[in-house]
Amino acid sequence: MSSLRNAISRRAHRERAQPSSRKKFGLLEKHKDYVVRAKAFHKKEETLRRLKEKAALRNPDEFYFQMIKTRTVDGVHKPESQANKYTQEELMLMKTQDIGYILQKMQSEKKKIEKLTAVLHCVDNQPSNRHIYYAEDRQEARELHSQSSESRTPPSSDDIPDHIKRKTATSYRELEARKSRVNELEKIYMEMSLKKELQKKGRKRKLREDELICPTSKPVYKWRSERKR
Amino acid sequence: MRPPRGRGGGGGGFRGRGDGGRGRGRGGGGGRGGDRGSGMKPRGGGRGGHGGGRGRGGGRGGMKGGSKVIVEPHRHEGVFVAKGKEDALVTKNMVPGEAVYNEKRIAVQNEDGTKVEYRVWNPFRSKLAAAILGGVDNIWIKPGAKVLYLGAASGTTVSHVSDVVGPTGVVYAVEFSHRSGRDLVNMAKKRTNVIPIIEDARHPSKYRMLVGMVDVIFSDVAQPDQARILALNASYFLKAGGHFVISIKANCIDSTVPAEAVFQSEVKKLQQEQFKPFEQVTLEPFERDHACVVGGYRMPKKQKAGQ
Repeated sequence: MSSLRNAISRRAHRERAQPSSRKKFGLLEKHKDYVVRAKAFHKKEETLRRLKEKAALRNPDEFYFQMIKTRTVDGVHKPESQANKYTQEELMLMKTQDIGYILQKMQSEKKKIEKLTAVLHCVDNQPSNRHIYYAEDRQEARELHSQSSESRTPPSSDDIPDHIKRKTATSYRELEARKSRVNELEKIYMEMSLKKELQKKGRKRKLREDELICPTSKPVYKWRSERKR
Repeated sequence: MRPPRGRGGGGGGFRGRGDGGRGRGRGGGGGRGGDRGSGMKPRGGGRGGHGGGRGRGGGRGGMKGGSKVIVEPHRHEGVFVAKGKEDALVTKNMVPGEAVYNEKRIAVQNEDGTKVEYRVWNPFRSKLAAAILGGVDNIWIKPGAKVLYLGAASGTTVSHVSDVVGPTGVVYAVEFSHRSGRDLVNMAKKRTNVIPIIEDARHPSKYRMLVGMVDVIFSDVAQPDQARILALNASYFLKAGGHFVISIKANCIDSTVPAEAVFQSEVKKLQQEQFKPFEQVTLEPFERDHACVVGGYRMPKKQKAGQ
């Protein structure tokens, strides 16, 4: 029965749009939009009412510590600045903890690199070292020379299946990534420890460009030598 | 009356088949149970059951699709290269299931289902491995060779040399320090072809009764007079026409002159002691200022006779 009813196409009722003459007011507001707007309005209204009530019922003798801790500037309330929330010692402690974390990560990363290099020997690569042959006379030297130039061709590994080659490549990539990560960590560690040293006591000054022995872009400091008892 | 147990008991699933089906089902179950029982017996006995398991594993894994690592022989006899997640120099483990210095072990299955275990040879800990990776032409240490190893330390490299020479070869491992000698002895307990000698390599007469004539001497003593030590031991134990492999640490001999000069002077010293060096490789990416010199001892002068 219902399928028959569905067979006859029904007219599509479209939503009423904003008349073109009122286009400048945006989309035509419907009841559900009005409900949202009205609710928001009433909420604000209620808040204002409650605040007014509070102000009316305020006890003029009441004391809060905020009153003496903070100030108003030109009638505008200024919250207390957060900059000096921590003491020097606390700041130092936090910094050392950060450095400790970086150091720990660096060490664990180095351990992992050590483990990886123990099983990744670059067997197929051409060795980068010096190889010297000893010969007794010229003829032997010539023979050795011709032999060595022949044998220098890299060992081919064509019979290795692709999935194993891929695995090896992945391992090498991981090793490279870890090495670069250690580099980054080392840099960060150096910077942090320099900052820590600079915050400590002791007279020091930044060296000028012309005073540097090996020029770098980084700032270089020199501490005044201090007599220890 | 006991309540029916298990599958044979005719639960809801069996009702549809009828009586005959149920009876047959029970019989089949009994047969299966019997089979399992017979399978249990050898497993209880020890290796039989395990072997069966391995065989099944081989059928599943195979060499074609599932193998995760491939081991192929290296240019040097007795040394292999493992390719897979690792790309490493390996030796066939004489004592399967045991690592000597926590190195990685790699088990590989042959076509016939037997398992072979290999141990990764770390070039950062072994100068011999570093020399092999450095492309040395011949290490002369091969299956069946008799090797005198001076400066064995804890026996990390010795264990690999023992793997290379195999059960037919012998490794005489000389180490002076008692502390590292203890590890060496413990390692040698499991390897029948290693003979540990806790003596000073400067006095080969003290252990001359233990060591026979050898084919190769490997020396890693890192002493200023290591050429003399090598010569002394060679005069006692190395056969004429035998070979030596010596690793030279430049800093241990003279830290004031450049490494190359130290290597040269050491080679000079060796040449004076009837050694004929063939080749020299630096162990560059693995060790700094180290070199490995390979050569022969009292070599016959056949080239002169031929001309």
